[in-house]
Amino acid sequence: MSRAPEVIVVGGGVIGCAVTYELARRSVPVLLLDQSLPGRATSASAGGLWPLGEAVGLGCGVIYHAARTAADPAGNGKTHGPAPLPDAFRDFLVRSNALFPDLAAELRELAGLDVEFAPGAGLLFVIESEAERAFVEDVARSLPPALRLEVLTAEAVARLEPALRRDVAGGALLLGEYQVNPMLLAEGFKRAAIRLGASFRPNVRVTGLRRQGNRIAGVEAGGEFLPCGAVVNAAGSWAGRLAATAGLELPVFPVRGQIVLTETLPPTLKACLSTSACYLLQKAHGEVLIGSTTEHSGFDVSVTPEAIRSLCLGAVRAVPRLREVRVKRAWAGLRPGTPDELPILGPVAGLDGYFNATGGFRTGIVAAPLTGRVVAQWVRGESLCYPGEAFLMDRFRASVPV
Amino acid sequence: MIRRRLVIVGAGPAGLSAAIAAAEAGLDPMVIDENPRIGGQIYRQPPPALPPEGGPPLSSAARRGVDLLHRFHQLRARITVLTETGAWGLFPPRRLAVHATRGWDTIEAEQLILAPGAYEYVPPFPGWTLPGVMTPGAAQLMAKTMHVRPGQRVVVAGTGPFLLVVAEQLHRAGLAVLAVVETVRAVEAVAALPRLLGHLGLLGEGLGYLYRLRRAKIPILRGQVVTEARGDGEVREVVIAPCDRDWRPDSSRRRTVMADTLCVGYGFVPRTQLAQLAGCRMRFADELGGWVPEVDEDLETSVPGLRVAGDGGGVAGALVAQEEGTLAGLAAAHHLGRLDAAAFARARKPVLRRLRRLRRFRAGLDALSRVRGGLSALATAETIVCRCEELTRAEVETGLTFGGTDIRTLKVMTRLGMGPCQGCMCWPAAARWIAARTGRSSAEVGPLSVRPPLTPVSLGDLAREPGFADGPAAEVAP
Repeated sequence: MSRAPEVIVVGGGVIGCAVTYELARRSVPVLLLDQSLPGRATSASAGGLWPLGEAVGLGCGVIYHAARTAADPAGNGKTHGPAPLPDAFRDFLVRSNALFPDLAAELRELAGLDVEFAPGAGLLFVIESEAERAFVEDVARSLPPALRLEVLTAEAVARLEPALRRDVAGGALLLGEYQVNPMLLAEGFKRAAIRLGASFRPNVRVTGLRRQGNRIAGVEAGGEFLPCGAVVNAAGSWAGRLAATAGLELPVFPVRGQIVLTETLPPTLKACLSTSACYLLQKAHGEVLIGSTTEHSGFDVSVTPEAIRSLCLGAVRAVPRLREVRVKRAWAGLRPGTPDELPILGPVAGLDGYFNATGGFRTGIVAAPLTGRVVAQWVRGESLCYPGEAFLMDRFRASVPV
Repeated sequence: MIRRRLVIVGAGPAGLSAAIAAAEAGLDPMVIDENPRIGGQIYRQPPPALPPEGGPPLSSAARRGVDLLHRFHQLRARITVLTETGAWGLFPPRRLAVHATRGWDTIEAEQLILAPGAYEYVPPFPGWTLPGVMTPGAAQLMAKTMHVRPGQRVVVAGTGPFLLVVAEQLHRAGLAVLAVVETVRAVEAVAALPRLLGHLGLLGEGLGYLYRLRRAKIPILRGQVVTEARGDGEVREVVIAPCDRDWRPDSSRRRTVMADTLCVGYGFVPRTQLAQLAGCRMRFADELGGWVPEVDEDLETSVPGLRVAGDGGGVAGALVAQEEGTLAGLAAAHHLGRLDAAAFARARKPVLRRLRRLRRFRAGLDALSRVRGGLSALATAETIVCRCEELTRAEVETGLTFGGTDIRTLKVMTRLGMGPCQGCMCWPAAARWIAARTGRSSAEVGPLSVRPPLTPVSLGDLAREPGFADGPAAEVAP
């Protein structure tokens, strides 16, 4: 590189690539450093774009909640879904999701690739009990008029998704909640960024951040020191380790999710299906993806026979014709989790030139377009297109007793 | 979950030898194999319904197989054998997941020996997906074990002594073997002779095959390579051309042979998927067929209690496999307290001595049969290189051009290796292209990651409660 980059982005997952893209769009000299580690959430992700589903607890979170409730029967049995996330975050996800149609076209033009953004029937939460129906109706009542959740009868569900088992109680359809290929999305952001002048270095291990008083001076990477004006920490589950090298306590931890993928099938599912045992979506090349567990097991990216079985069981119960279908692969990824399940974005008090872009947990893919924008705006000192105060790291500092 | 002291995956020369050594030391090993009958590719016997192989007296290799199976059967009371049982996963550290038509389960092994063998290496070339093109091993299986003739007029091509074995077996099965096309040139074979002289018995065996092929008037075309298989819907013609030291064909001197079957294989690639799933540290060893697990002198991998024996730990042939199996079986018995240090030392000494001698001989063969760069030039732009995803070479090259020179990006961009075979077929060849294009070694390009399940298993099967319908120690008749 001819001159020092103004900004270094650490981490080439979907968030790091999105931030790099938005900085490159603003003509900022930016360098993206990446080391592909096992368990990267972007590579492991299902690619569901379910902003409302995840925010109100009708997506992947419901599986975790059901499993926890089952494991703790003595516990409070009257809640039949996870607590909804704050409205500020729900609206952030909805806004980000709305960017996908234009973004897909933009990346096709700039990067020459198709991110497999696939509008389908929407996200269909399968209602299997009266308790689940009550939960869905509560959720529906709590939504502002602009956000719609359609409660469907069993007959309507059967018409919408004929492959689904027949004895369901009903469904909740979230229109506009589709899917994408998460790896191609990251690759598209990256290539478009390179096209716009960004630099990219793969296979570089960033060992630390160097600070000079209250300022970031640069990063230690692959045995050399790279000076820069600003650093974006987009290291996903590993972001806490990186922040620690600059003396920051960033509460991000890996949350394992296991996934099962079938062999390639003819068109079988119209919607993305969500049940209390698993979610299912058919990908662009015909495989049905079945997820996912929520496990706190450190950086271990192993799959377990028990989880594979439980996902297969959930899948064949929901869609009986999958019984004879072969499993092609099972894998695990590490979602970057945070104590309040919200991302950690933006600057940190007391360390100039440092910015977080991590903690995407279950929604990193759908949040990526808007996260890229907002973080780039923070780095540039522009006014934010979406208020980001709720996502600052300092929210955790306040809660620490002094 | 089933718990066993010693589990052995694979009932070929290495697995059977390991079971014999362990059972002789007083252990009760469990042996798992995905095939209906034990013996592995090399020693597998035809089903009893078929008449025994007629014709000339058994070759020395076949005699070794009969002897090994005999010793194994004498110890059968101690050994649990699960045939038609696939190992679909291995969860750290030594928990094996297996499935059969009667169910699935996991087996936690105190000591685990992996003896999965190897598969044949076939780099893509025009026409290689035509019906009638098969590996020598597949043709052997049909002729020897199933008593089915794979065709009428056959060309056997590639490299290594296995071609001679298969050519002779196909000849005996009544096929017209038109030629054996061996890429290694005669001068190189002569140059390797001094090292091969280190094991006169094996050299003699090889010369025996050559002699019998000559008597059958089957020509051996050395320094030549099959560049193409042609035909409309099935193989009709095989194109052969002379090649240089780097195995680059001289297409100006090509000629065609009318044939309905082409057996082609350029040596073997170790089946390392289980070891990779277990998290064994791997190393790249070109002479052993590619990526292999790192092992110590007693074949223990970086995962304690997990050993690899035979071709699955590095391709070296059946004799090495038997010795390694014995060594692994003895070491496992020692670790499980069945052999004290002195008895173990006594038992392993002659095994190590024989292994050293065999490995010297193999080193001579390996240097000779090392896959050369010229094979990478065979596939044209339209040649399918990933059979699962039906990707052409041009599509993969485009992925490489767009910076997909790390594995993950290439997979994402092209879907190479995303099919059911998980890259077993395409990756060894693709890794060589990437290495050539980026000026890196295959070792730097890296192995493809492996994910369970390794064998075909349905969602319905895995959704079932673990356990075998007929009990954990279910045995199948030998």
